[in-house]
Amino acid sequence: MAEVKVKLQLPDADPVEIENRIIELCHQFPHGITDQVIQNEMPHIEAQQRAVAINRLLSMGQLDLLRSNTGLLYRIKDSQNAGKMKGSDNQEKLVYQIIEDAGNKGIWSRDIRYKSNLPLTEINKILKNLESKKLIKAVKSVAASKKKVYMLYNLQPDRSVTGGAWYSDQDFESEFVEVLNQQCFKFLQTKVELSMEDIETILNTLIYDGKVEMTIIAAKEGTVGSVDGHMKLYRAVNPIIPPTGLVRAPCGLCPVFDDCHEGGEISPSNCIYMTEWLEF
Amino acid sequence: MTQAEIKLCSLLLQEHFGEIVEKIGVHLIRTGSQPIRVIVHDTRTSLDQVKKALCVLIQHNLVIYQVHRRGMVEYEAQCSRVLRMLRYPRYIYTAKTLYNDTGELIVEELLLNGKMTMSALVKKVADRLTETMEDGKTMDYAEVSCTFVRLADTHFVQRCPLVHATENSDPGPPPPAPTLVINEKDMFLVPKLSLIGKGKRRRSSEDDATGEPKAKRPKHTTDNKEPIPDDGIYWQANLDRFHQHFRDQAIVSAVANRMDQTSSEIVRTMLRMSEVTTPSSAPFTQPLSSNEIFRSLPVGYNISKQVLDQYLTLLADDPLEFVGKSGDSGGGMYIINLHKALGSLATASLESVVQERFGSRCARIFRLVLQKKHLEQKQVEDFAMIPAKEAKDMLYKMLSENFISLQEIPKTPDHAPSRTFYLYTVNILSAARMLLHRCYKSIANLIERRQFETKENKRLLEKSQRVEAIIASMQATGAEAAQLQEIEEMITAPERQQLETLKHNVNKLDASEIQVDETIFLLESYIESTMKRQ
Repeated sequence: MAEVKVKLQLPDADPVEIENRIIELCHQFPHGITDQVIQNEMPHIEAQQRAVAINRLLSMGQLDLLRSNTGLLYRIKDSQNAGKMKGSDNQEKLVYQIIEDAGNKGIWSRDIRYKSNLPLTEINKILKNLESKKLIKAVKSVAASKKKVYMLYNLQPDRSVTGGAWYSDQDFESEFVEVLNQQCFKFLQTKVELSMEDIETILNTLIYDGKVEMTIIAAKEGTVGSVDGHMKLYRAVNPIIPPTGLVRAPCGLCPVFDDCHEGGEISPSNCIYMTEWLEF
Repeated sequence: MTQAEIKLCSLLLQEHFGEIVEKIGVHLIRTGSQPIRVIVHDTRTSLDQVKKALCVLIQHNLVIYQVHRRGMVEYEAQCSRVLRMLRYPRYIYTAKTLYNDTGELIVEELLLNGKMTMSALVKKVADRLTETMEDGKTMDYAEVSCTFVRLADTHFVQRCPLVHATENSDPGPPPPAPTLVINEKDMFLVPKLSLIGKGKRRRSSEDDATGEPKAKRPKHTTDNKEPIPDDGIYWQANLDRFHQHFRDQAIVSAVANRMDQTSSEIVRTMLRMSEVTTPSSAPFTQPLSSNEIFRSLPVGYNISKQVLDQYLTLLADDPLEFVGKSGDSGGGMYIINLHKALGSLATASLESVVQERFGSRCARIFRLVLQKKHLEQKQVEDFAMIPAKEAKDMLYKMLSENFISLQEIPKTPDHAPSRTFYLYTVNILSAARMLLHRCYKSIANLIERRQFETKENKRLLEKSQRVEAIIASMQATGAEAAQLQEIEEMITAPERQQLETLKHNVNKLDASEIQVDETIFLLESYIESTMKRQ
C-alpha cells in the first residue's frame, strides 16, 4: 500500500487571503486590534507569515500602526487617505501626522523640524510635495507677517491666525471697520438702551471716539446678553463741552507755532493763517 | 514766570496803562520783589515816575508791598493778577446777566478804577446811567445803592484791607509803610450810608473832546464840599467769587450736554446751595439731603419728589461721576465732586485740541490711552482698530507734541531696549500745563496782530476821527445838511470799506482772545485744584 502524504492546505494560508482576513478584522474593530487578536483569529498562521502580511498592509498604507500601553495596535486606515498617501514614503507620512496634530492653529516649519528631527532640506522638500498633492496648505499668520503656518488642506484657520472678522487676506479691513463703526453709532443713536454681544470691540472704538458710553448693570441670569450676572449697556452721548476756545483761533492749530515770534520770518503780523481766518 | 506769560503781561500793561507802567511792571515780574531804589536804578527811570507807576499798579491790585526786616519796603508784582485783566469783559458780562445794567456798570467802574469808595462809585454809576436814559429822567442813587448791596451780599464785591488803627501805646516812629488788615467778618459789610441824590447829566458846556482822562473829571463835577462819609472804606471786585460762578456754569452746561435740562437744573440748585457752605477750593461740596434739594428747587420746576430722587440716582450712577452719594439720611445725601468735574472738563479740552489738530482717529487713540492708563504699541492698535502703520505714526506725532509720554519698564537691570516694555501714557497735569503755555502765547499773538492791524491803518483812523470831530462841532453850531454832506465825503468809499474791514478784524481778534481765555480758565482751575490736593 502506498502512503500518500496529503498536505493539508488550509484555505487561508494564501498571503492575500491572510491580508484580507486581517483587514476584515480591522473593520470589525475600528479602534484597532492587537497582534494577539489576529493570532486568536487565525491560530494556524505562523508568526512569520503574520508579520509579512502586516508589513505589506502597512507599506500599502491600508493599516495604521499605533502604540498603546498594552502593545502595538493595528488600525484600518481611512480609505480616502489610504489612497492619497500611496506613493508617499514614511517621512512624508510623519510630517503629515505632525501637521494633522496641530489642528486648525497650524504649525510653523521650524516646529515641524523639532518634532520630526529631520533636516531642513528634507522638510522643505516634503512640504513642497505635500502642498502639490493638496494635502496641506500654508497660511500667513497675521501676528508676524513673514511667518507661514502649515495646516491640513481642508481645515478652517483659527481666529488667532487670521485675525478674525476684521482681516481679509491678511490685510486689515479698515474700510469695513469704518463702515461698521458708523452703522453701529447710527443704530445706537435711535435706540435708548441696548445690550450687544459680538460687536463689543467695535463698540469699544466708539467709546474711544467719545460718542458712546457704557455702563454695567447687574442682570438676572438668563436674560438676553447677560454674562456672569452683568449686562453691558451702551448709549450714544454728546460731548460735554463744545470745541474749546483755543482751537477757534488759528494759533491753536498752527503747525509752525513754535517758530513764530514778533520780528521773525513767521510772526503774528504777517501770519498767513490769520489773514485767511480774518477774511472768513 | 515763563517767557510767554511775561510777554503777555507786558502787552496787557502797555495797552491799559502805557509805557512807563509797563516797564516797571515787567521789571518787577521778572525780578521778584524789590525795594524802590533798586527799581529806580535798574530801570533807569526817575524816582518820580517810578513812584507814579507803582501808585497805579498798587491801586489796581497788581502790586503788593511788604515791610521787611531792617525797615525796607519791598514791592512785588503778581503776574497771575495781571493776566486776569484778560477776563475783565467776562466779569462785566456776568454782572450784567445777574444784576442788569446797574450791576454791569458797577463792576465795570470797579475794575477800571481798581479800588473805590461806595459813595464815589454810586455817584459815578448813577451819572453814567442817567446819560443813557431819556431826557428828563434820572437814575436815583438809592437804586444803585440797592444793587451794590446785593453785590456785596452775594460776595461779588469785597472790602479792601484797611490801615490798621494803631493804638497810641506804641511811641516809636511810624513804620515806613502801613500794614493793611481786614477782618473776615467785615469783608462784605456795607457801611450805613444814606446816599440821597440823583444822577447828573453831563452839561453840554463840559462836552469837550473825548480824550479827557478819567482822573480829571471828579474835580469838575463835585458840587458838594462835604467830607465823604465812608472815607477810607474801599471796595474791590472779588475775582474768586466770579471764578466760582464760572466754574459752576461750566459744570451745569456739561451736565446739560450729557444729560438733559432738568438734571442740569438740579445740579445748578445743588451748587447754589453750596455757595455759602463750601469754600471754593474744596474738592467736593458739603452733603445735601434730597429733601433740602427738593425744597430749594426753583419755583418753575414742579417735579415730584420721586422724580427728583430718580434724577439724583441717575446722576450719581452716571459714568461722569460729577454727583456722588455719600449717605442715606434725609432721603439720600448727595455731593458734587468738584475736583473730578474740573478734571473732566480739562480732559475734554485736551481731547478737543487733539481732535482739531490731529484728526478724529488720533483723538480715538488719545482717549483710549487716557482710559486704559498704560498701553503697549500692539495693544493700542488692537483696541483702537487702526492699522499698525497709521497708529504708530499718530502715536509718534502726539508724542512729539507732548500730549502722550512713554513709560519705560525694563525687564533686565541693564535697561536694554530690546528687553524693555515701552508703555504709552497720558499725564494730564503736564499736558494741561503745556496747553496752558500755548494758550498764553496764542493770546499774545492775537493781541500783537490786533495792534499791528490798528497801526497799519493809523493814518486812516486819524483822518476819520478828525472828520467826526469836525462834523460834531458843525452840528453843535448848526450847520446845513449840505455842508455836513461835503465833510462826510472827505472819506471816500474804499476808505470807508477799509474802515469796515478793520473794525470787523479787530472785533474778531478781540472775541478770539476771550474764547482762548475760556480754555485758560478751565485749565488753570484744574491745575490749581490738583496742586491744592497734593
